[in-house]
Amino acid sequence: MPVLGIESSAHTFGVGVVDNGKIIANEKSMYSIGTGGMVPGAVAEFHASNARSTISSALASSGASIKELEAVGYTRGPGLGPCLRVGLLAASTLAARLGVPLIPVNHGVAHIEVAKHVCRMRDPLALYVSGGNSQIVALSSSRPRRYTVYGETLDIGVGNMLDVFARSARLEPAWGSSVAKVARGGSYVEMPYTVKGMDFAFAGLLTKATSLLGGHSTKDVAYSLQETAFSMLCEATERAMLLTGRRELLTCGGVAQSSRLREMLGSMAASHHARFGVADNALNADNGAMIALVAEKIMRSGSGYGRTGINQRDRPDSVIVTW
Amino acid sequence: MRVIAEGAEARIYAADILGIHAVAKRRERKSYRINQIDTGLRSQRTRVEARILGIAAAVGVDSPRPLLVHDCEIVMSDVGGTTLRSVLADNELDENAVARMMRAAGSNLGRLHHANIAHGDYTPANIVVAPRARLAVIDFGLSEVTQSIEAKAIDLLLMKRSVDPLRFSDFLNGYRSSFRGADKVIRRLLAIERRGRYKTRTLLVTDDAP
Repeated sequence: MPVLGIESSAHTFGVGVVDNGKIIANEKSMYSIGTGGMVPGAVAEFHASNARSTISSALASSGASIKELEAVGYTRGPGLGPCLRVGLLAASTLAARLGVPLIPVNHGVAHIEVAKHVCRMRDPLALYVSGGNSQIVALSSSRPRRYTVYGETLDIGVGNMLDVFARSARLEPAWGSSVAKVARGGSYVEMPYTVKGMDFAFAGLLTKATSLLGGHSTKDVAYSLQETAFSMLCEATERAMLLTGRRELLTCGGVAQSSRLREMLGSMAASHHARFGVADNALNADNGAMIALVAEKIMRSGSGYGRTGINQRDRPDSVIVTW
Repeated sequence: MRVIAEGAEARIYAADILGIHAVAKRRERKSYRINQIDTGLRSQRTRVEARILGIAAAVGVDSPRPLLVHDCEIVMSDVGGTTLRSVLADNELDENAVARMMRAAGSNLGRLHHANIAHGDYTPANIVVAPRARLAVIDFGLSEVTQSIEAKAIDLLLMKRSVDPLRFSDFLNGYRSSFRGADKVIRRLLAIERRGRYKTRTLLVTDDAP
């Protein structure tokens, strides 16, 4: 019987329905960031007013009836507090009305799991890159199993960095794909490159890039920023690949939609004879299907759902993987 | 030349310089990086590493001597011996000998920190027990010249995560003995360990799992 999942950690209110590992609906309403970025209270209000219609349209496109739902999953975190709370409220209301379990899901784990699922990978190393998060993770072999974070950003997420740069450069919409578009055909200007072992930092790079905007063309700065940031991610990931000896690499999260990042990671993986995979863009952007997928796995594992509530800084390595 | 080790960044080859046994570390070109980033990075890191190897020797820390630095390659003396990691794993030494080694490892790091070098990957895998139980430090590939207390504390944290607590306390005794600023760094270590991200995280850069 189907499981419904609600995602609301950032600008997307997403509702997905999964039945036995099969995604049968994945609908979303997205707050338009325009040039101003995300104002948490305003985004939460947007989610609240779109919750009902998004849930209805997901149910309609899944072909399942609301009474068939076996459980409701939602994003516990990480994410923006006001937005997470709307998701929790919608999910708990639905679960209480139907008398089915309410299952909290970590957002990052959901991104990784859905990519792993559609790429048919067994035990990959994952580069999870989005607005707020940038982490290199893989499942531990010791029990209890959990996702181990091998490397991560020491300051801001790579997506956040690209968004802030896009706003400074007055690109619209102010996010990574606009940076990628303007970067095409640019030439390289020197940028700071900060990798510490398997960790990396983007704040210095962002400061440098925005300070160069007056003196250089936006095209050249965007190109150099993107090449530098993705090279850093790739290098740290390569180190983790060799450390963990994984033969599969995937990337997931909003920034995994970047074709340049995919190209670089693919080339790196090939040089180590590893398989590289990435999910469709609809599953890399925030979505409800990934939440439903993990909620179903948790439910089938039959070992408890964890505490409900939200945690703005919920870490993937805090989740015990019971499935 | 024969490849003897392969890391994420570089390959290590066995080399022979005028009959002297040496090793060559070459930072290989990365296909995923554009040339302008890749070339500059590899040669700059190679120069920094060679310079740090020189400083380490000057402050009395046994380490490979840079013999030749060329482009993205360092040819350096071979310190010989086996890693402290495998010595600890073999479990054949008596406790006193192990304590002595851990103190020496700590004292070496203290000397490096006093000279404002953060090693970046200071674990038993990068400490070599050379003939006559002398300890040498290898792989300065992630090292930096820095006054940062944080970077130095991360060196301690890596070691702490790699050995058992008793050994780490021997290590700290050695560290204090050679570095006057030790307590400040140890205090930072405790602060770092209280941060959420370091409660659950794995920090190893080279695989030190026993």
